[in-house]
Amino acid sequence: MSLFWSLVHLIIFPGGAFALLVALYLKGLDRRLVARLQSRVGPPLNQPFLDIAKLLTKEQLIPATACRPVFLLAPVIGMAGMAACAAFIPVPGVFGGLSGLGDLLVLFYLLPIPAIAIMLGGSSSSSPFGAMGFSREMLVMLSYELPLLMVLLACAMMTGKLSGAGTADFSLVSIVQYQLENGSYCFNPVMVPAMVAYLMFLPGTMGVAPFDIAESETEILEGPMLEYGGPLLALFQIGQAFKTFVILGLGVVLFFPGTLCDFWPVNLLWFLVKCTLLMFFSMTLVRSATGRFRIDQAVRFYFRIPAALALVSLVLVIAL
Amino acid sequence: MRLDIDTCLKKASVCSPWLFRINAGSCNGCDVELATTALIPRYDVERLGCHYTGSPRQADIVLVTGPVTIKMRDYVLRVWNEIPEPKVTVAVGICPISGGVFRDSYAIAGPLSRLVPVDVNVPGCPPRPQAIMEGVVLAKQIWMKKLGILEG
Amino acid sequence: MSSFLKILLKNVLGGPSTDPFPFGPTFEPKRLRGRVVVDPDKCMGCGMCRNSCVAGAIDITKDAESKGWTITVWQDSCCLCASCRTYCPMKAIEIVPDWHSAHFEEDKYSRIEQHTIEYQPCAVCGKPVRVLSLAKAQELYRNDPDVDPELVRHMCRSCRQIKDAEAHVEILEAIPRKAPKQDAAAPEAEAKA
Repeated sequence: MSLFWSLVHLIIFPGGAFALLVALYLKGLDRRLVARLQSRVGPPLNQPFLDIAKLLTKEQLIPATACRPVFLLAPVIGMAGMAACAAFIPVPGVFGGLSGLGDLLVLFYLLPIPAIAIMLGGSSSSSPFGAMGFSREMLVMLSYELPLLMVLLACAMMTGKLSGAGTADFSLVSIVQYQLENGSYCFNPVMVPAMVAYLMFLPGTMGVAPFDIAESETEILEGPMLEYGGPLLALFQIGQAFKTFVILGLGVVLFFPGTLCDFWPVNLLWFLVKCTLLMFFSMTLVRSATGRFRIDQAVRFYFRIPAALALVSLVLVIAL
Repeated sequence: MRLDIDTCLKKASVCSPWLFRINAGSCNGCDVELATTALIPRYDVERLGCHYTGSPRQADIVLVTGPVTIKMRDYVLRVWNEIPEPKVTVAVGICPISGGVFRDSYAIAGPLSRLVPVDVNVPGCPPRPQAIMEGVVLAKQIWMKKLGILEG
Repeated sequence: MSSFLKILLKNVLGGPSTDPFPFGPTFEPKRLRGRVVVDPDKCMGCGMCRNSCVAGAIDITKDAESKGWTITVWQDSCCLCASCRTYCPMKAIEIVPDWHSAHFEEDKYSRIEQHTIEYQPCAVCGKPVRVLSLAKAQELYRNDPDVDPELVRHMCRSCRQIKDAEAHVEILEAIPRKAPKQDAAAPEAEAKA
């Protein structure tokens, strides 16, 4: 029975179909909002679906000099890792999360998988632009992993401390449960720096401007994605969509899981609204208002501001 | 009526043409117009689902500008061959169509239709952004014809 | 970034400024250079446009049996520089703002502006002659009410000269004829001989 439910969580809700639907519509909304902010009309809301349908009908070309198995496996790895992650994300008031299976440590280890898949794909494609994209992706990843770790640690320690367990509590279920009972962390002054750090971490991990350094199409021609096209690129995009859901859902769960009432459709809608707001403020607005960082600027930014903010939260949590 | 997934996918696919541009020795006039169609709010090419891609592997509609010079010929052919099928070739400006003011020059290997099969021409020096968008709409029709789903 | 945010807010409040084309009508500037049009009534086949065309898009071929000529403008080679319009002495070439130029490859060679202009017999002597357009004839003879522009435009050059001389024969005769000038060099040459 538990296997059955695990499969349901993996394939239908909250992972799989639900996550994909939400993430792709959010991406369409994101493109439309950016267009509006730039005083354009923008593509239709279902454009990401059309893009994926298009990519599935295209011919698949594989470079003769590429490392074939890695080149083929990289998008699958990226997608599978994130699809698994999406099943762990609790939807407050609807789905409590998989207790015992998914906790923050697992998520922390699974979250870099899409970036690693991109690196694998880029380096196996035998293209010099792919290699350049590989090094850039690696640098950006290394710089945003530290603030992320500190943010997650702060959340876990906060929960552990306040719920009386004494040590850090890495279980997503208990983090949600504690916040549902005692109010969300985003209203707690100790956790506000960590929340800001998480907001700054979002554009970096999603590879949107100003941190789209690895896939800058004007400098290094899509970088690691240069040799990908057709169904394999569709797999990458699906993986990216799962990642959007995981990252946004994690942000909502960590800092603002509050529910409106006990009726589950309302809670589901509230969750989606919170995801949309998080996406708007951390990705859409930032993307349309900024240009692209140089790689050294991005690294310096991540090691200075978000790392410092997360450290402040962490120290406060430990000290208080 | 049976729901045919393949046809549905093909019909959806036409709504997402990704554009790739090749500068085959152009004076940049047409390239500026292409950038204009894509980037400025007045002629928002993203409404058609278009998206300028940096990689030929992801392209559906390839826009070629410039007379194909002798130096560029091999590169144009190489990049054009990297684009997966089904692809639609659009010649933008009079240079790739006929050679334009560079016709009969010793440095020209074009016009483009001598090297690759061209589907749509958008003449002009440079063409209006609206004319380029009209060319993209025609290219979508050619694409539908190539997929075999064009009604009427 | 705050200045950018102000701009973004303005953009959102102002709504999109996108032209509705291709889903709706678009604007069309009056002086837009879209397509070259040749007026076959005005063209005299002088070849000035062919000489001035930088793209070599204009061709004028005389008929083998000298029955007329064909003027061809290849739209796909025309760079719309408007040299032909500037240099055409008859103002026969115009550039209209029709910008719908995108077309399929199979229509490539049919996108031409071509007119075959034939000579017509002279109203008096019957020699093949290019008929002047009525508007041009009226413009040329507007100070001369005695001349019928409709007739004169169908006449060849020598017939026109003869008719002009006939009309003004009194004036011509009234002009005092000067005696032929004595050639100053002639006596010297004779003397040398």
